[in-house]
Amino acid sequence: MVNKHDVKKRMRQLAAEYIHEPQQEAYKLDDTEMMLHIGPQNPIQPGPFLIDLKISGETVRDSKLYMGYGHKGIEKILESMTYIQGLPVTDRICYLASLSNNEAYVSSVERLLDIEPPERSQYIRVIMQELSRIQSHLLGTGEYATDLGFVTMFLFMIREREYVLGLIEDITGARITHCFPRFGGVREDLPDGWREKAIDVLSMINEKCEMYKELFSSDRTYRMRTVDIGTLTKEDVIKAGLTGPALRATGIDYDVRKVYPTLTYPDIDFKVQTAKKGDIFNRVMVRINEIQESCWIIEQALDQMKPGPLFPDELPYGRRTPSMRVPPGEAYVPVEDPRGEMAMYIVSDGTDKPYRVKIRGPAFALMQGLPPMLENVYIADVPAIAASMDSCNSEVDR
Amino acid sequence: MDELTVLDSLKSQFPDAVADALIDSQPPHIVCANVDKGKIVDVCSYLKDNLQFNRLSGITSVDFPEDGKFEVVYLIASYDHSVIVKLKAEVPRDDNPSIDTVIPVWWNANWYEREVYEFMGIYFDGHPEMTVLVLSDDMMGEWPLRKDYQEFPQTTAKYPYSDDQESIVEEKYPLEWKSWPTERHYLE
Repeated sequence: MVNKHDVKKRMRQLAAEYIHEPQQEAYKLDDTEMMLHIGPQNPIQPGPFLIDLKISGETVRDSKLYMGYGHKGIEKILESMTYIQGLPVTDRICYLASLSNNEAYVSSVERLLDIEPPERSQYIRVIMQELSRIQSHLLGTGEYATDLGFVTMFLFMIREREYVLGLIEDITGARITHCFPRFGGVREDLPDGWREKAIDVLSMINEKCEMYKELFSSDRTYRMRTVDIGTLTKEDVIKAGLTGPALRATGIDYDVRKVYPTLTYPDIDFKVQTAKKGDIFNRVMVRINEIQESCWIIEQALDQMKPGPLFPDELPYGRRTPSMRVPPGEAYVPVEDPRGEMAMYIVSDGTDKPYRVKIRGPAFALMQGLPPMLENVYIADVPAIAASMDSCNSEVDR
Repeated sequence: MDELTVLDSLKSQFPDAVADALIDSQPPHIVCANVDKGKIVDVCSYLKDNLQFNRLSGITSVDFPEDGKFEVVYLIASYDHSVIVKLKAEVPRDDNPSIDTVIPVWWNANWYEREVYEFMGIYFDGHPEMTVLVLSDDMMGEWPLRKDYQEFPQTTAKYPYSDDQESIVEEKYPLEWKSWPTERHYLE
């Protein structure tokens, strides 16, 4: 009798022999070149990944990325859980954008169920999306400043971020993993007095953003490390399929909130923040401008929303139980994550569990676009360029 | 550019290769079409060159063991207009499932195709580097996202202190234990 494990071992061997052959090409060096490994624990960002640089003197000639140190198998886990059980798992895709991930999952399932949340729920979800964006941009930009040795900026930003997390915590009860939206609505209404508190915090953040912009623009060392470094042109970003602030910094005003509007975004007046040059400095500026724009969106949403129910009257049978059946079909609804387009392609076969969930994250595209950016730059600029993309390894690996 | 234009254009250009083309009734009104496996590169380059579909949003795959097929799904969008196209290509579920790569059309198809290969085992002909992306090397050949993958959730097949690892695993964790029950009953 053939042992199952022997067969598997042989399959692995065959696959390994087959697949590793072309890989050796990247490691052929001439006399002036050497390899430099950065990672998996790297100074670029919290998530582990390995980057192999082929360097000649101080200049990077070629680079190769190795991902997967944080692979969690979320797509397979979601297949084995009922729809509502899968919701907390989507929090764990990326801890900085957990509300956006929830939103992408929930809106896709809502399309399959053919339900639409009532207006008040939609406004609350808009508010949560924008709060999530503010806190993600604050941490992303702050961490990025630390990589350049600008620790003061990090401390400023992490202090302001605490207030935003406090606002989120007042509604959802959690700081990082929220699990807040539900199919057809949201879990909780806004608590009493939240509106006044939010307006205080947001006006404070708005003022602080002006200060950040002034600090970033006036600091000579910071400008030397960021202006005209890591420049992306429009052709580069289109080739790499990027979305989010890295795309908008090159001047393309592409925002999923405008292109595929969901929730009550069409009723809200906001501008897509762009910049012209596409270098690191511009990318950071776009993020800070987006924080201010998000504050403005939340204020409008708070003014426009009226009291009302959180769930629609007619809901599919068993909505509140784990055994909710979802009609067969497929859904794909893009959502604007802090980093770009986030969407989940969900295939349902009519049972209580999804048949297949594909998570299309923005950080995946950002990481893939990294090696061309690192060609012919100095080694010292590698962390600055890579960290300015504000990528998230947890989401790339899933 | 709207959905109907894209649909008509696709249908008239590829009357044989594109089947069951329709527009999703709900937003974002995705244009769905089934494409012949051999014609996928032609259809994709037509979309990119003539209809400004310059952004590949993602490539994924779905396993249908009962029908004996895989579906490779291409989600294609654009920076210039708001239409999304979803192309599906059927790949027979035999020993060596394969399909042509679309890297010549969209550069960023590279990682998506690697991901499909390591998780589902569909080989992309012409891909320059079919290596693991997020899985570890020893998971290659397991194809974990296939529906007949039996070792999930894997309690662990590796006991470092045991000499005869395989037999212990086989005894301790019978097959029923390794897979989740397909149907569960809750109080409704």
